[in-house]
Amino acid sequence: MGMTTATGNTGTTGSARDATAVAFSGVVKTYGEVRAVDGLDLTVRRGETVALLGRNGAGKSTTISMLLGLLPPTSGEVRLFGGTPERAVREGRIGAMLQDGRPIPRVTVRELVAFVAATYPKPMAVSEALALAGLETLAGQRVDKLSGGQTQRVRFAVALAGDPELVVLDEPTTALDVEGRRDFWRAMRACAGRGNTVVFSTHYLTEADENADRIVVVDRGRVVADGTGEAIKRTVGGALVSFDLADGPTDGLAELPGVTSLEIRGDRALLRSADSDATVLALARLGLVRGLQVAPASLEDAFLALTSSALEGAAAVGEGARR
Amino acid sequence: MIDYIRLEVRRTLRDKGFVIFGIGMPVVMYLLLTHIAGDSGKDADAWKVSAMVGMASYGALGAALGTGTGVAEDKKLGWLRQLRITPLSPARVVVGRGLSGSVTVLPAIAVVLLLGALVNDVQLSAGQWAGLVVLLWLGTAPFTLLGMGNGYRLSAQAAGMVNGGCMMVLAIIGGLWFPVAAFPGWLEKISRWTPSNRFAELGWSITAGHGPSAGTILVLAAWLAVFGAYAVYAYRRAARTA
Ligand SMILES: Nc1ncnc2c1ncn2[C@@H]1O[C@H](COP(=O)(O)OP(=O)(O)OP(=O)(O)O)[C@@H](O)[C@H]1O
Ligand SMILES: [Mg+2]
Repeated sequence: MGMTTATGNTGTTGSARDATAVAFSGVVKTYGEVRAVDGLDLTVRRGETVALLGRNGAGKSTTISMLLGLLPPTSGEVRLFGGTPERAVREGRIGAMLQDGRPIPRVTVRELVAFVAATYPKPMAVSEALALAGLETLAGQRVDKLSGGQTQRVRFAVALAGDPELVVLDEPTTALDVEGRRDFWRAMRACAGRGNTVVFSTHYLTEADENADRIVVVDRGRVVADGTGEAIKRTVGGALVSFDLADGPTDGLAELPGVTSLEIRGDRALLRSADSDATVLALARLGLVRGLQVAPASLEDAFLALTSSALEGAAAVGEGARR
Repeated sequence: MIDYIRLEVRRTLRDKGFVIFGIGMPVVMYLLLTHIAGDSGKDADAWKVSAMVGMASYGALGAALGTGTGVAEDKKLGWLRQLRITPLSPARVVVGRGLSGSVTVLPAIAVVLLLGALVNDVQLSAGQWAGLVVLLWLGTAPFTLLGMGNGYRLSAQAAGMVNGGCMMVLAIIGGLWFPVAAFPGWLEKISRWTPSNRFAELGWSITAGHGPSAGTILVLAAWLAVFGAYAVYAYRRAARTA
């Protein structure tokens, strides 16, 4: 499958609207001079699991705050299930795990989860929410006496407790160990498997690739790529071509056929290339073949290429392919 | 909302600091103040009654303001944001917190009054006891609102200090610790207009055998309006940022 066209179905015909869980159109949020979110367009269909991927300060949490109606956009519009975020929240259709939230002290895990569940019109059984988050054995413990990872699971249970249609998770795995992460993603997929829509943010493309149907890469408040993990890797350029410079000149390398970006690391030149064959042929013609290597771009490469400020070219490719 | 009130009351009662300082302090002070001066004679008996009302008021005042400190702590933890994404409406969250705060003032009132009756042998009619509890309970509303206003507006640390400061100033100037009659004349006049003095006056008027005067109720109502407006203003500001 090719790139998912995210901006394609913002047109509000009846059926498209019904199938839409989240719709951002031209959303901007500024803090003084800082444009935290800078013209974001995003549509999430019901039942989809979407990852918001971006580095620190990309605008993920700001986007999520606006999605939840906690923060009004400076301009543009956010719609959830065809209405305002406030309405969707009041109807109990939203559950969320906020990035900086910590559970309140002096309550037990069960008391907290049961309280949140009871505020929703059709919550899941408290025991089910606890089981999904892997908290059965900790149910009677005080929330303030848990480890960081256990606390994280409590916050996940709080997000699920009301059995909401849309679950929003801001960096849900930061405090978890390897096993905790695995359990968490298994629970998250179980939740998505119930037909729920899930939007989560992360710094890691691998995590996004393994757990989301679709990845939306955000950088400096804009969507720079949008599609499946595969599609994003393809967008960024299939390969990394590298060779020894041997004190040779570096100018002109970035303009070679297929090259989307150039990096010099010590004595080696690293070319990201959308067409490695053409790039290698051109290098051969120039006699620049010492220690020549062609490697497929890794997910991390793809992510870095999409978001690193030095590599405007690659980001532009990402945008181009999306349109 | 009932669930929210229950949750918050439970959390407050599990707070050791609240139990030790919020209930223990007025109790200890009451026993000290009424036993230091010697404990016989007509004056001493009157003092036992008025100090009982003063200390119950003081404990209630502290608990009411403490609600606001709790709000600031919730804000810091991101719990207010978490509540805003549950179907509970913001108005219910605020009112629920206010009501839970008003429940947590009861232990201090009840314990000090019990000590008055059991240890210091204060004799009042059943109606007077009931009237005392009800009026002291209702009378804490302005202080709950003041504390919540501070809680919404300030950081957790600042709210704790400001509410603690408010409690001391209001308690002393309101004559909850020492009778205002001992104040210099000008301070006594000011004192009669403070919310804390009028609050305690609710209780003193009952122990004196008549009800609170219209003036007392008017002054308290005015303070209620002022602190209520302050709390609403602070909440609106906090909702924009928190
Ligand atoms: N309250 C605020 N006041 C001023 N600037 C802010 C505020 N909140 C966020 N920003 C700025 O907005 C930008 C986006 O922040 P945001 O928290 O959305 O990033 P993020 O993608 O969630 O980052 P991280 O991965 O570190 O959580 C940053 O440059 C940040 O400095
Ligand atoms: Mg963030």
